[in-house]
Amino acid sequence: MSKLSFRARALDAAKPLPIYRNKDLPDLNDCVSINRAVPQMPTGMEKEEESEHHLQRAISAQSVFREKKENMVIPVPEAESNITYYDRLYKGELRIPKQLFHIQPLGLDNEQPDYDMDSEDEILLNRLNRKMEIKPIQFETMVDRLEKASTNQMVTITEAKLLLNEDDYLLKAVYDYWVRKRKNCRGPSLIPLIKLEKRDGSTNNDAYVAFRRRTEKMQTRKNRKNDEASYEKMLKLRREFSRTVTILEMIKRREKSKRELLHLTLEVVEKRYQMGDFTGEVLSEVTAPLAEKPVYTVPITVTNGNRHNHKAEIKIKSGGLPYHGYHHVSVKDEDPFDFVRPKKKYTRREPLCRPGRPAKRQHIVNKADIKQYDFHSSGEEDYPLSPSSEPDEENDPDGTFAFRRKAGCHYLAPCLDQTSGLLWDHPELAGLDALRHRQSLTALSVPQRCVGLARRRVGRGGRVLLDRASSDLDGVLKQLDSGVFSSSFPKGLSDHQVPTQNHRTMPGSASSLTDLLSNIQALRWRFFRPRSTQGDDSGEGRTGRPSMDNRLSGGLFVHTKNSGSGGITEEQYQVHQQALAQMQKQQLAQLQLKTAGSTDCIISKTLDSAGAHFAASAVISAPGQVNNENKPDNTSVNGVVQPLVESLPPHSTSTSQGGTGLDRSGRTPSSGGPLLPASHSTTPQSLPNHRGHGSAVSPAHHHHNARPSPSSLKLATMATSSLDRVPKVTPAISSMARDNHEPERLALNGISETTVPMEVT
Amino acid sequence: RSSRTSATQVDVVEGCRLPVLRKNQENEDEWPLAEILSVKEIPGRKLYYVHYIDFNKRLDEWVTPDRLDMKKLQFPKKEAKTPTKNGLPGSRPSSPESEVVRVVGAAAYLSHHGKPTFDNFAFNQSLVSHYYSVGNGTARRPMPNQPGRKRKQPPNCGGTDEDSQDSSDGIPSTPRMTGSLVSDRSHDDIVTRMKNIDCIELGRHRLKPWYFSPYPQELTTLPILYLCEFCLKYLKSLKCLQRHLTKCNLRHPPGNEIYRKGTISFFEIDGRKNKTYSQNLCLLAKCFLDHKTLYYDTDPFLFYVMTEYDAKGFHIVGYFSKEKESTEDYNVACILTLPPYQRRGYGKLLIEFSYELSKVEGKTGTPEKPLSDLGLLSYRSYWSQTILEILMDLKPDNGERPQITINDISEITSVKKEDVISTLQYLNLINYYKGQYILTLSEDIVEGHERAMQKRHLRIDSKCLHFTPKDWSKRGKW
Repeated sequence: MSKLSFRARALDAAKPLPIYRNKDLPDLNDCVSINRAVPQMPTGMEKEEESEHHLQRAISAQSVFREKKENMVIPVPEAESNITYYDRLYKGELRIPKQLFHIQPLGLDNEQPDYDMDSEDEILLNRLNRKMEIKPIQFETMVDRLEKASTNQMVTITEAKLLLNEDDYLLKAVYDYWVRKRKNCRGPSLIPLIKLEKRDGSTNNDAYVAFRRRTEKMQTRKNRKNDEASYEKMLKLRREFSRTVTILEMIKRREKSKRELLHLTLEVVEKRYQMGDFTGEVLSEVTAPLAEKPVYTVPITVTNGNRHNHKAEIKIKSGGLPYHGYHHVSVKDEDPFDFVRPKKKYTRREPLCRPGRPAKRQHIVNKADIKQYDFHSSGEEDYPLSPSSEPDEENDPDGTFAFRRKAGCHYLAPCLDQTSGLLWDHPELAGLDALRHRQSLTALSVPQRCVGLARRRVGRGGRVLLDRASSDLDGVLKQLDSGVFSSSFPKGLSDHQVPTQNHRTMPGSASSLTDLLSNIQALRWRFFRPRSTQGDDSGEGRTGRPSMDNRLSGGLFVHTKNSGSGGITEEQYQVHQQALAQMQKQQLAQLQLKTAGSTDCIISKTLDSAGAHFAASAVISAPGQVNNENKPDNTSVNGVVQPLVESLPPHSTSTSQGGTGLDRSGRTPSSGGPLLPASHSTTPQSLPNHRGHGSAVSPAHHHHNARPSPSSLKLATMATSSLDRVPKVTPAISSMARDNHEPERLALNGISETTVPMEVT
Repeated sequence: RSSRTSATQVDVVEGCRLPVLRKNQENEDEWPLAEILSVKEIPGRKLYYVHYIDFNKRLDEWVTPDRLDMKKLQFPKKEAKTPTKNGLPGSRPSSPESEVVRVVGAAAYLSHHGKPTFDNFAFNQSLVSHYYSVGNGTARRPMPNQPGRKRKQPPNCGGTDEDSQDSSDGIPSTPRMTGSLVSDRSHDDIVTRMKNIDCIELGRHRLKPWYFSPYPQELTTLPILYLCEFCLKYLKSLKCLQRHLTKCNLRHPPGNEIYRKGTISFFEIDGRKNKTYSQNLCLLAKCFLDHKTLYYDTDPFLFYVMTEYDAKGFHIVGYFSKEKESTEDYNVACILTLPPYQRRGYGKLLIEFSYELSKVEGKTGTPEKPLSDLGLLSYRSYWSQTILEILMDLKPDNGERPQITINDISEITSVKKEDVISTLQYLNLINYYKGQYILTLSEDIVEGHERAMQKRHLRIDSKCLHFTPKDWSKRGKW
């Protein structure tokens, strides 16, 4: 009847559907089944299950009979409901309340033990009950506590005692029983528990793990199927991006660390090179302490050793004896005059360096970097002397080398002198140049003489160490020695330092004493001399030049550069060091004696008092050509700087003695400062002891014994001449004269030339 | 049969298929084809875990060798390496678990190279379909046999996007975190494929679990697992239960009673606030719900436990769970009438209650998919009766023929629109007549409905419902 549109419109849920009874529609058969237009709705079952026999049977039965037939139901496993003991089990009755139940979930937790006794337990309980009364609930509580206190490991009997406040006999009995039972237990616990997930994801597929925690709740809009999927994808994306960022950051950090490591390694190599530590002895000696102390913390000191020395120096200062520890870096083995040379270079370079300063501060991976550290340390020394000239050094951010406190370390109050950073300016300088920049002319007050190029730094305990360097100028400096002191320089700190600008003029000059002197006067050379009488602070500043080499055990080391020294054995080196130590002590003693007489030296007994003058005995290796004996330290490498032990005469305290002994051994020794210097003023005894100390420090002192020459420079020179390489201990006292520079200039020039090869190395 | 005795001689291994004796509902013997899923040796004999092809898993069971018809034994065959003509690997999408079985099983079996397949698959199919296809033509022909196999993609209408986490990248991931049902393949390993609890004693009842449930593993070997009837704690022995009952003073589910009429009460339990009970309830329910997942915690669910009161207390009859917030209009996650109470109208009562809640919430809802067979039947029945009730009650208005929109039906009943349509279709009520859709009520539909409604005495009385929906989305947590 209907030529109906085959295209039935879609079923519109909003459109009213008239309802007919079949009887109302005689022509119903002509109706078109809607199946054409309305897609069959899915049942919501899984396909496989949908086809299951019993379901299909039931469905068809329903469609036929519109009603379930008994035999058409879906069969299920049987259940019984005839537990006869039910009433005995569930005792009591419950009258239905009028009110609906309203429960506070928190109230549900009663303190009942979760453990439920079984019949096995009952046997034990009955047994126990013969001797004492124990209720099941008590037993359950005990086991419950034991169980809950045991995770992977069962609690021990002692723990159990703490856990259960029970009679010993009972406790023992229950505990033993529990242990036995638990070992036989199939499950992980006597209280059966659902397996919990492990956070590592290993249980993700464990069928027995249930009720895992949901990590995050997805918030997606209703009815958007895709939202969830895309949300997840975006989450994933974000996760991956953030991981990428993390990775990149870590790479960045790694690369930074690598750069730092490179710097440090370079520095260490350089230092070892200077010290002639080719056997690694010093390194190993220093390594342990290194580990503890922050490498970068103290600007002055690159290594821990420095720190120690630093302290030591302070002590020295307090003692009042100016003492100079020198690093001698010499291309050839030389006398103190070498110092001049480095200066030259210094001056030369300075002009160049100045502008670049900030850049230098940043660590460039090259030799210069290494030198930087040196400068830095020397800078300390300089600072007090010439704060005005190089104030910026102080302020200069230290970058990665900024001081960072480290847990467990004890820090002394900063010494003003630490910070000056004159030499920082010239990181590019290397070799002699570097020397020159690192060191400045230095005079001692007690053996009134110029010790040549030296660098001060503060060692452990506040002692001031002088690192001496030998240079071609040593010869000239000798003259300076005599002449300078007579001529009086202005005392002020400013006097000592040569304004940096002036340095430029210097390069290459200073060949003669007069030149040198004039340079000094013109403030083109830095010249540090002890003041006759100073305030603590100023004194401190001047006196100590913290030596870079502090890592050397105990003593200050003078680095000498041997242009062509042959290989030196470790033994030699040690012997040498010992010898040096002894010498130093002797010198100290002498110094002390002298100082006693001389008004120049001021002794402040307290460490704190800054006005410390100290004498630094610098051992200078004999000029390069010379004997290897003296310079056992020196390594063969082309103009290698070798560390010589120089004793720091600390005025300060008796500690020095102990220190000496320690020197070798370990870090305490590394503090060096105390060791070397036998405290003269404070501890007169130390003087006589010198020998003893020396021996303690270094069993072997050979030629050096002869060494101890009271007059520093002379000694030095003598030493150089006679022993050549033997480090000279030159105790100097505060007031120093700086005069004749000229001869030195020449020497400087010479040095500068020689330095080149050094740099190369 | 003489051949039965030979079961022990011939190596019957996992993957084998053969007819196995079982009693049907009329207590008659029948020999449906079954697949061996597992073999275990207990002293003196072997036991075989069989799955009856095309029967629901809940009928799987351990059988003794004498129930095996060895004459018709079919060995699993290696899958053809080369694709067959139709492009499908092998003639039958074999059950993945049979492979697992072979790996897991104690004995050495076939090589693990291929999936088992059957020579005479055609025979199986025809046998099965012949054997079981009953009723009129409306019954769908049984699909190829895939005993236990689960498809990733549920054929549900709700578009539950069940496998949204099973992204195509193939990276196995954890199940989705919403909902309570799974239909992914992870469900199909041999462990969860087999029932692990023999018997559960709950109050007066002994229940035979239908499916796997992750009770503590050490309890799965017990002949009987004891549950406290009220707190549902699981205990290994009667003695323990006894002891427990001295300490457990619950006589009703530990939640708020939000409905009571007669002996029927409903208790609402927050899955976050009362974890222990919720978990115990889930463990019990899992014994009877194939697709229920216990993978995640119960926090986002509310549990509505229906109880029947007697002097001993409020005995659990069934329950349904419900997501506090459903993104897909689910008003039921899992729903279960405990077996002792089944086929007595409690299921429909539960369903009715769930829609009553939706009515209070002013929402339409639908059960989470996939439905089980029993679920489908129950829901269809409920939907049918609910819709027919409305249609029959419509009186002619001013002599006009009564009419109603699908949306109206949905709104009145809180049954989701799609479910309304599917029910109308199922009942074959929708016809296209003279250019428009009409609903036609045939006489047998009407009669059937009236008969059914007479039997349906258990009804929810909305006046007895004391329920205030919470807006969970405004709470930080569920």
